[in-house]
Amino acid sequence: MTEPQSPAALDRPTLAALADVLIPAADGMPSASETGAAGEWLDEVLRVRGDLEAPLHGLLERARGVDPAAEVDRLGREEPEAFEALATAVAGAYFLNPEVRRLIGYPGQERRPIEPEDPPDYEQDGLLASVIERGPIFRPTPESRRRAGPS
Amino acid sequence: MPDPDVLIVGAGPSGAVTAKRLAESGFKVMVLEQGDWPDYTRARSAHPDYELTSGHYWAWDPNVRGGPGDYPIDESESDIIALMWNGVGGGTVVFAAHWQRSMPSDFCVRTLDGVGDDWPLSYEELEPYYVRVERDWGVSGLANDTAFPPGEGPPMLPVPLAPMGRRVARAHNELGWHWWPAPNAIATRAYGALNPCVQRATCLWGCADGAKASVDRTYWPVNVRNGVELVTRARVRRLLVRAGGLVKGVEYLDADGGEHVQRAPVTILCANGIGTPRLLLLSGDNGGLANSSGLVGKRLMLHPFGTVTGLFDDELDSWQGVWGQHIHSLEFYETDESRGFVRGAKWGLQPTGGPLSMTRPYPWGAENAIWGEGFHRELRRRLGHSAMWGIIAEDLPEESNLVSIDPAASDEYGIPGAKVVYTNSENSQRMMAFHQERAKESLLAAGAYDVIVAPFIEATGWHILGTCVMGDDPASSVLDRWGRTHDIPNLYVFDGSTWPTSSGMNPTATIAAMALRFTEHLIEERRDQRQPG
Repeated sequence: MTEPQSPAALDRPTLAALADVLIPAADGMPSASETGAAGEWLDEVLRVRGDLEAPLHGLLERARGVDPAAEVDRLGREEPEAFEALATAVAGAYFLNPEVRRLIGYPGQERRPIEPEDPPDYEQDGLLASVIERGPIFRPTPESRRRAGPS
Repeated sequence: MPDPDVLIVGAGPSGAVTAKRLAESGFKVMVLEQGDWPDYTRARSAHPDYELTSGHYWAWDPNVRGGPGDYPIDESESDIIALMWNGVGGGTVVFAAHWQRSMPSDFCVRTLDGVGDDWPLSYEELEPYYVRVERDWGVSGLANDTAFPPGEGPPMLPVPLAPMGRRVARAHNELGWHWWPAPNAIATRAYGALNPCVQRATCLWGCADGAKASVDRTYWPVNVRNGVELVTRARVRRLLVRAGGLVKGVEYLDADGGEHVQRAPVTILCANGIGTPRLLLLSGDNGGLANSSGLVGKRLMLHPFGTVTGLFDDELDSWQGVWGQHIHSLEFYETDESRGFVRGAKWGLQPTGGPLSMTRPYPWGAENAIWGEGFHRELRRRLGHSAMWGIIAEDLPEESNLVSIDPAASDEYGIPGAKVVYTNSENSQRMMAFHQERAKESLLAAGAYDVIVAPFIEATGWHILGTCVMGDDPASSVLDRWGRTHDIPNLYVFDGSTWPTSSGMNPTATIAAMALRFTEHLIEERRDQRQPG
């Protein structure tokens, strides 16, 4: 029986290399590894997504010593489930970093209460008027014709 | 404990509506629910790890989720995977809260289009029940949508159109196409047990803010206060039949595997379009219970689903809003045979999610993979700058699409699972292709500089309908027009299994209205109800 492995035992340098293939430094944005996506933020990911740990261990073992770009390409083609685990862990960790969230302008799912007193904007500016003016679009049925009476 | 007057199996939307109305009328009601109450401490919408964690506890596919109320479903021969929530609240716990009445033509498909079957009632007959459940439920929307006969609307004002809704609405005005502020089972003000929505757009993964009208919030606490006995973690193994052909109750297992027999004069199945036929097929001797027509489990309809996403230069904050729908369009809902298919589809305009959602193969397409050198540019294009039409296509009933018992897999208590066989028909495929093209035109007219048609994926079977069809002829239907099985006069089905055709709408509004109508007829006819001695 194989001993269960811990996040501490993950091959972080190999993971960082794969992560930077997925999210490189470009366009003024840092790479995955520069933001801790293979370090502290990955730990946070694994704290809430322990199911990613086993596939990460497996794919990192196979990736050791291999060209990272070639290995990411191979995973995408040959091991879609492992690729999905890698992509989720890396991007998930990247977007947990508050500095990354600031840079991409994403504050999280904010509380933005609906203002119940506001009159709907479409009533103020007539946006619905042409829809109403066009009239009913539903198809007459035997029952609707009966209720409408003789025309 | 004395036996209840009525035993209901399943605490989803139809069970909730049925139990409420019966309890209000003085019936002693017991409900057996195989799952548990949802745990909203697991709803992480206000936390940074929300996108990472939402798909686990709140997973829609029971085979992935493996929750305490789930059973295995073999979908190896199905084009669509069935999605559900097996627990108090049923599918409403994870539904998108699109509250769509069916349109008048949906009730007479055979008469108008020569396909499927007519329903044994009209829109006009069901309309008062829609109005009543909308008040009980807590629905927001705007009356007199031109796609429906005029009448009373929901009790709350609709959710805001949002920047994306206003853009698309203007475009539809220019195109001369229908749109309307969308109806949702989402509170826009404090309403009963509901808080006003705060637009986190996380409706599909457990509304932590208490604004989505799922029946675990809106009905079950009231039902329990009204004396309904709700037993959770109670897995019904089979229905018990008495000599003479009446159902005398059910056999169920508790969370520890303890066996129980619960007797009742009347039993109502509200276990969804897979759970209900599964139970009937697990019961009885030859081919299942109430199955003299041979139609239990057949005519399964699952609503093929498509999405088309537009990319805009404008800031749309498209991770916020409701999910839910901001506007809907029924422009192409009615049949036009020149399009090469019959029937139609409904569109709902939705957000697209936070940054992690921007990296997924769906709805963006594997050919548009975000990874590598262009990652940051592509993320900027998508995040906060996109809007999505969700398209629900009507599929027609076919006996070859079906639910059966899976002899190869059982739940943890040894009760056999279900098997689904479903093929996406030619009519559905042509319909979806047409609607995707029109949805692209809609978003381009709204100013999108690019549009992406999502690839077909299997995991979209939220709407499970038609597997115990109602009708007047016992040879061609399982149930009569009041949800009573033709074969067993004290056994009823009140869930979406009853539907003769599927409409192209999200079905919860009609499931709820039909359950209320069925229940009131049961109450009216109680003096003539045959019961086991």
